[in-house]
Amino acid sequence: MEFFIQLVINGLMLGMVYALIAIGLSLIFGVLEIVNFAHGHFYMLGATVLAALVTSAGIGFFPGLVIATVAVGVVGYLVYVVLLRHFREGEFDRGIILTIGIGMVLQNGVAYLFGSSSRMVDTSLSFVSWDVAGFFVDAQRAVAVLVGAVAIAALYAVLTFTRIGKAMRAFAQNREAAFIVGIRPAVIAGIAVAIGIALAGLAGAALAPVFAVHPAMGAPILFKVFAIIIIGGLGSLPGALVASLLIGVTESVVGGYSSVALQDAVAFMLMIVVLLAFPAGLFGKGIRV
Amino acid sequence: MSVSTPFSTRSTGGVQPRLTWPLIVLSLVGLILLPSIWPSSYVVNVLILAFIFAILATGLNLIFGYTGLLSFGQVGFFGLGAYLYALLTMDGGVSPWLSILLAGIGSGFVALLLGYPALRVSRASFVIVTLSFTLLTALLARNWVEITRGPMGIPKLSAPSIDLPGLGTFSGHDPHVFYYIALAIAAASIGAIYLLVNSPIGRVLRAINLDEPLAASQGISPKKYQIAAFAVAGVLSGIAGSLHVSHLGIVDPSIFDPYYSEMLLIIVIVGGPGSFWMVVVSSLVFMAIPELLRMAPELRMVLFGMVLVLAAMLFPTGVGGYFEQRKLAMWRRSLRS
Repeated sequence: MEFFIQLVINGLMLGMVYALIAIGLSLIFGVLEIVNFAHGHFYMLGATVLAALVTSAGIGFFPGLVIATVAVGVVGYLVYVVLLRHFREGEFDRGIILTIGIGMVLQNGVAYLFGSSSRMVDTSLSFVSWDVAGFFVDAQRAVAVLVGAVAIAALYAVLTFTRIGKAMRAFAQNREAAFIVGIRPAVIAGIAVAIGIALAGLAGAALAPVFAVHPAMGAPILFKVFAIIIIGGLGSLPGALVASLLIGVTESVVGGYSSVALQDAVAFMLMIVVLLAFPAGLFGKGIRV
Repeated sequence: MSVSTPFSTRSTGGVQPRLTWPLIVLSLVGLILLPSIWPSSYVVNVLILAFIFAILATGLNLIFGYTGLLSFGQVGFFGLGAYLYALLTMDGGVSPWLSILLAGIGSGFVALLLGYPALRVSRASFVIVTLSFTLLTALLARNWVEITRGPMGIPKLSAPSIDLPGLGTFSGHDPHVFYYIALAIAAASIGAIYLLVNSPIGRVLRAINLDEPLAASQGISPKKYQIAAFAVAGVLSGIAGSLHVSHLGIVDPSIFDPYYSEMLLIIVIVGGPGSFWMVVVSSLVFMAIPELLRMAPELRMVLFGMVLVLAAMLFPTGVGGYFEQRKLAMWRRSLRS
């Protein structure tokens, strides 16, 4: 039983990371109807920036986290202004091709500049573990989860209580109506893309000390998050959060009791099952693209 | 992303040059004679890879360019075909030629099964389900060690050979012989798809791509056609995969390398989705470019990524689409005068 609870704790931590990436992806999809194939590479960029700041510039972990998140968010905003802004509705395939191209540039650009070997980031929290009611909690992971929870709560507050957040939700719900009441699409979409991409950067930066940092780290996690947002329902933020935690825990438990290979396959198999049983996802409103 | 023209291609006042068939025959003759004119096995090997990519790209063109469904499953079927070939020839004792055929049919059958859940919701979920399929096959190849030998792969694969009565047997392990095997299979499968897209079925696929509800209102069942096209594209990928590993002599999980999916996408996007021959030409060009442009592989992929970004921003219909628009403009001018 204790082993099981330990696995669930680990799974919730993993799920929180998926949630940060999935929510950003879902936010961008909700506003622009673009599936961002470069999203995982922004996660990698966040980790790379943090690694450079902490190991080369000697900046502390928490200031580094803020700088990395803002830097990735700015890059995301520029990507929106220069490229994504020019897309009209219904150009679904073009958006995918474009973001794949952006991802290739990011991944190979980082590999060219920094080399493609893995790098470890040591912080003051490395190799520290906390004892919470008899269970092992790795400090670095716990901090990553806390940072993620704070970010998600902040996003929830922004979307619920601020004008800009309400405008974003209105825009995702009904584009024309939002247009009619005077919401400016370019402003709203730009902010949504910047926030979504910054969240991916934050996840990468928060996890850089936990996992090894390398240029190809973005694609595998992105593909898993794709499965997660299908399970949660495309474009649904609560769906993305719940499905992330669900997959995180399931993966951790499956990995604990059976093989690592099965652990990696769980998300995809669940996705096929969900598609057959609830085609719109667990929280989906059944949008068709 | 529809690029096919909504106009029919019947009599257009004699402006349309009927050059397609002579050009095809000429290029085929050229490719048949090439190894005797330029007998470098380096050139031959580059061209073999180009033929394999041409088959793969024609498959993606069928499902994406003509049917309008962006599939990331093609590399999965490519790998599946590769492993089927290896298992059939090594463990099953099936002849290489038959194995290539069976690898294609097997991949097509799996595509048929995958098509239903993949097409169940939306185009977005089709993209993600087909992508997940490729990741799952890669995972299986790496981890189902009893069957696939895991990361070590299956080495010492046999290649098809040509038996000419009176002249003896030519082994496909010789690149110059394999060149003709690859050329023949590429010509046959690409030719078959050319006939398919120009048949009434091809027109139905274009109609579904242009306006699915309208096509459905005409009594066409879009889903059946889409799944069938996906299966045919799967057959092509399976054939390409089996051909590729019979040439390499080994299959291992690197057959699922992102390199294949990225090159495949660039070939089709730059050639022009829905432009049949430009995609085939594009396969030859993009296999030759890395040989001409010697630079760090990362830098080359950055460049290719930029090409993809530029293509998506400026020429979503590729080179083929550009020519198509030029042709349409010419027709309009000639109709006006």
